[in-house]
Formats: sequence, structure tokens, C-alpha cells
Amino acid sequence: MLSKNSYIFRWAAAIFIGLFSVVSCRQSGKKEEPAAAGVSTDSAYAKTRLRYAHGFSIEYYDHFKLAKVLNRLTGSTDTLEYLLVQEGYPVPAGYPKAQVIHIPVKTIVGMSSMHIALADFVGVADRITGLGSLDYISSPEIRKKVKAGKITQVGLDGNMNNEQLISMHPGVLIAMGNPDAGFGRYKTLTDAGIPVLLNTEWLETTPLGRAEWVKLMAALVNKEEVVNKKFDSIARVYNELAQLCSKTTDRPGVIIGMPFKGNWYTPAGGSYMGQFLRDAGAGYKWADSKGTGSLTLNFEAVVPEALQAAYWLNVGYVDSKKDIADKDVRYVSFRSFKTDKVYNNNLRTNEQGSNDYWESGGVNPQLVLADMIRILHPDLLPDHQLVYYKQLK
Amino acid sequence: MEATQLSPSAGIIQYATDKRKKALILAGLCLLLLIVFLLDIIIGSVRIPLREVFKVIFSHTENDTWRYIVEKIRIPKAATAVLAGCGLSVGGLQMQTLFRNPLADPSVLGVTAGASLGVAMIMLAGGSIATLYTIKELGISGSWLIIVAACMGAAAIMLLVMSISGTIKDNVMMLIIGIMIGTITLSVISIWQYFSSPELIKDYLLWTFGSLDGVTGSQLYLLMLAVAIGLIISFLSSKLLDALLLGENYARSMGLTAKRARIIIICSTSLLAGSITAFCGPIGFIGIAVPHIVRSLFNTSNHRILIPGCCLIGTILMLLCDMIAQLPGSQTVLPINIITALVGAPVVIWVVLHRNTISRQ
Repeated sequence: MLSKNSYIFRWAAAIFIGLFSVVSCRQSGKKEEPAAAGVSTDSAYAKTRLRYAHGFSIEYYDHFKLAKVLNRLTGSTDTLEYLLVQEGYPVPAGYPKAQVIHIPVKTIVGMSSMHIALADFVGVADRITGLGSLDYISSPEIRKKVKAGKITQVGLDGNMNNEQLISMHPGVLIAMGNPDAGFGRYKTLTDAGIPVLLNTEWLETTPLGRAEWVKLMAALVNKEEVVNKKFDSIARVYNELAQLCSKTTDRPGVIIGMPFKGNWYTPAGGSYMGQFLRDAGAGYKWADSKGTGSLTLNFEAVVPEALQAAYWLNVGYVDSKKDIADKDVRYVSFRSFKTDKVYNNNLRTNEQGSNDYWESGGVNPQLVLADMIRILHPDLLPDHQLVYYKQLK
Repeated sequence: MEATQLSPSAGIIQYATDKRKKALILAGLCLLLLIVFLLDIIIGSVRIPLREVFKVIFSHTENDTWRYIVEKIRIPKAATAVLAGCGLSVGGLQMQTLFRNPLADPSVLGVTAGASLGVAMIMLAGGSIATLYTIKELGISGSWLIIVAACMGAAAIMLLVMSISGTIKDNVMMLIIGIMIGTITLSVISIWQYFSSPELIKDYLLWTFGSLDGVTGSQLYLLMLAVAIGLIISFLSSKLLDALLLGENYARSMGLTAKRARIIIICSTSLLAGSITAFCGPIGFIGIAVPHIVRSLFNTSNHRILIPGCCLIGTILMLLCDMIAQLPGSQTVLPINIITALVGAPVVIWVVLHRNTISRQ
């Protein structure tokens, strides 16, 4: 009985870690079916074409759009349907399962930095009226609104203040979804008539796929035309950069992340980061590993690679080489450390400690890729100024 | 000669053979410890030939990677396992004796929870708490920051527990108060967890899973010093512990002030549990399970045998747990706390089913 507390504590710990295991830890053996590009009847609005994202689709009909979002929260894959009904038109019959969102939405509540970035990209950041947390925001526009008291803190995904949200009644609540809980956790809100859009962009395994979710945001506010163009130019730049790298044969060794308590989480080959590394022409030891999340390796298993890899990227919550040595003095033996080839993706961190890499970086994969290429292959992009990355000294 | 006092029925001859038997067991355990220690250094995710491992230890190898792995990963980890194994088992033994409760372990004083509180303060509530800046201004950062925070948390709770223990008479009351302080501490942590972002919670939870890795260089020496002091106090107080086992009234009749004995024992256990938790995170079950194994193996309640016995078996068990946690041949590692629980919990079940060893007089 004495250790009942520690039992409870440990169980709670186990549950929590499952609940919150970060986005990147998600693994999925299944392949999603590719999204159907807009099958539709005629519509007065520009349509979305999807090329990279697999997690959602949009169909166009007269006066409404039908968006389908893959939901893998419950372990199995199922689809959530949303009817995006144009203002002034009736809700079409025949979609009993679908949630109704009246578009163009006027007010948005978001949960993650990525949601801010999506709204910013589409040009509707001013419609954000609530956020999960007001602590980590990079967008200057949103920061200004927060300061002016125009944005309400509604609680983190999973612990939302339902009463607050119901009284705000946003046009749509964009949620990240929580791996261990079904959609049922949002029932109080959906029952109150607040549509909860599950933005599962973090399940995408390519940078362009993740960024393409701007098109779903665009559909919510009828801005397909301009957003399509904007995204196409980003995709073009990204693909050109990847093409540039594919011509070189040089593949400098790279290690990613920093171990903590003997565990080293490193991206799996099939993950979002794995794709970045491939496109940036990195020699990544785990490039062919299966899985779309991250690999949990022990320190010893990574050390042979870490000792001789030329570069060390995305080092985590450190800002200098001294910080790294303070974390663990053993890291100073790494070749990248000795040769000053340690780069972190935290250049755009503001005084609140919010890192824009996780915000605007999500919708600007071409800039992230350019940074990585500039670091790994300096001669390929000699004039590029680093945007998100910086060299640790 | 208090062993004869404890079992007055035992004859002198039996006492002599008993003593030889116990010496033999101790010697056997020493040998086993050596073997397990070497095995722990030899086995790992990266396959290093046996000869090369010995070359690293005893002479020199040209392979830098292997040298790094053995010198900077495996040997410090094995050494940490030895320290944690000794300290936690002896701490557990002392608590079980002090409270005369077979389920007591070093964490009942709330010191482990105190260390967790310190770490949570840095990891979860960090940004908003002024003390963090003060600590940072002292030039403490990185892994030291966590260790200092854990030590401060443990010390704060330890002082609280000690000051309370000076005012009350009853050990059972002390036990209840210790557990309640631990509960309050963990609740405070839960509140912070509730309001923290997932990434921070994840880091903190990884810490609570415990790890023998990463205690290197000066940190290892400091841990060694703390554990050594704790163990020395413990060895010196073995007579006190023997007397306490016979009840506080008996101890008092022997001229011991129960209060002073309690303070000495709480002090050494807090030092052991606090320092180990600060460096390795909370490691459970070793402290409960090992004293029971030792008592049944040596069939004695003489602390001059139980304490070295706990050191040996605690170390052996911890090294074995570390080897299992490495999942030999795989690239990953399981948290040490899970493995010690998997090994320790069956022992606790066994104790509950055969609870005879400790309360027997």
C-alpha cells in the first residue's frame, strides 16, 4: 500500500506519455489511400487540386463542399466528413454523419502553432479569436492581437475549456486530435453546434504534404484560387531545390536530435524529416528504416555514427556549443562538434521562447529545405541566407 | 555478540557454522557481482569483441569508437548501477527496519517525491519561476541544473521530514506523515503537468522513468561521494538498527534514544535516496525487494550482515536489470524503472504471500 502513490503516479505517467507522445512518434504501417482530387459538379468557386497531401480531400458541389479528413486517432483509419456550406444556402440532406461548417468562416479557434501558420498563409490570421495557449506564438500579427486582448486562451487540446468555447461559438474549431482518444472527446462542443475540424496534417509524411493543408484552410474561407497559386509556387521551388541536390553525389553524414536519458529519438526513413534529409542530399544512416515516426535508439547504437558524422542538425533546446557540453560532456567528442558543424533550427526564436520553425516553417518547406542544402552543400546555394537554422558556436 | 542475543536459543556451535555459511554466501555474491559487472560492460547494442573490451579496460585499443563506447558509456553506466543498487537497497532496508513495515522503501520519506518536485519545477514550471533565473545566474545549466534542482527538492523535503520527526514520538506517525508529504508533492507536480505543453511533459516523464545513463565524469564522483557517506553512516548505525528491530521500548531500555536513532537513519536514507534520484531519476522496487531477498537468503536480522548483503544483492540485481533494459542485441533501451518494477514486483508479491521475515522476533 505504501507504494500505491508511486503506482498511480507511474500509471498516470504511462498514460500521459501515450496521450501526449509527440506527433512525431506516431507510427503507422498502413498506407493511406490517395485523396481524390475534386470530383465535382459545377461550382462558382475555384477548386482545390491536391498533389501531395494524403490526409484529406475536398469535393465540390453546388453551394457546398464536402471535405473528408482521415482520422487515425482510434488506431483504425476512418474518415470524418465536413459539409462546408456557403453562406445563405441550406444544409444539403443526405450526409447524416457530416459536421456542418458555414463558410466563409468568420471566427477560428486553433490549437497548435501550425494552425496559426495555416491561417497566416491563407491570409485570415485576423479571424483567429482563440488559441489553445497564448505562450508560444511567432506570428507578429497574432502576437499583437494577443497583446490587445483580442484572443482568448481556451486550453490545450484535450483539456479545452468547453464553456468558454461554447460562449465564444467560433465558426470552426481546428483541433490537432489526440492519438489516444477518439473523436468523442469533442462531443460536448459538436453537440453545442461548434464544428470541430480535425487537422491531421502532422500525419503527413512529406513536407509538401504537410504544407498542402493550407488548401483545406483555404476551402473554409473560399480562398482556393489565391492559395492554390501560392502553394504551387512553393512546391515548384521545393522540387527544384530537391532536383538540384539529386545531381550531386556527395552525401555528408548527418545526425539529428539529442539523446535524453540514454534514448536517442531519430527520425525514421519514411518520416517527414526523413524526406527532408533525402531531398537535402544528406547521408543519413537510418534513411531506409521503416516507419513514419521516429526510431527510439539507445545512445550506444547511435554513437558510432555520431562520432564520425560531418553534421549535427536539430539539436533541440540548446543555443550554443557550451549548452551542448553542459548537457553531457560526452558530446564534445563528436566530429561535428569538433569541426563546428552543429546547426539548430532555432534562429527565429522570439523572446517568449517561441520558435517560428514550428509555425511558419510548416508552410514554408522550401525555406527549410534551402537552409538544409545551404548547410550540407554550401556550394549549391552560395547566396542563400539561413532562415530557420543557425550555426551553434 | 548481539547475534546471540537476538537468537538466544542458538547454540555456540551452530552459530559458528552459521557464520561460516554466511561468509561463504557473501564470498559467492562477491564473485557473482564481479561476473555481472563485467557482463554489463561486455554486452551492448554495438557488438564489441570480448578481447577488445578487455583491451580498452586494461591496455589500449586503436578503435576510437569502441573505446568511446566502453569508456564513456558502459563503464560509467555500470558504476552508476553499482551505486544505485547499493544505496537504494540499504536505504530500503533501513526504512523497513525503522518503520517495521515490510513494504517500506526509500521513497516513503517523501524524499524521492521531493527530488521529482525539484526537477518538475525546472522542467515544467521552469519558465515562470524566478528561482530558475537565480540558479542560471550561478552558472548552472544543462544536466547539472536538473541535478541541483533535484537535490534542492529532496533536501527541502528531507528538512521538513526531519523537523517533524524531531517533534513526534511514534514511528508509525512518521511513516504516515512521510507518505502524505510525498502525496502532496506529487499532486503539486500533477498540477504543473496538467498545465504544461506535451513536449515538456514528455521530457519530464522520461526523467521519471529513471536512467542509469549519462552520469559521467565529475557527476559520477559526486554521486559516489554521496552514496559512500550514506553507506558509512548506515554501517555505523547497524547496531542501532538491530535494536530498533526489537521495538522502540527495547531500544530505549538499551539506552538508545529512539529519536536520535530515527534522525540518524532518516538522514542517511535521505542522502542515499535523494542523491540517487537526483542523478538517475526515481528508481523503484529495488529498495523494497532487495532487503527481503537478503533476509531470506541469510536468514538473519543482524544488520551487520544484512547491510553488506543488501549492497551485494542490490548491485547484482541492478546490473542485471540494466542488462535486461538494454535488450541485448537490439538498438533500443527500456527505462530502468520499468525493468526494476518487473523484477521487483514479483518479489513483493512473494513477500506478501510469505510475510514472515521482518516482523518475526
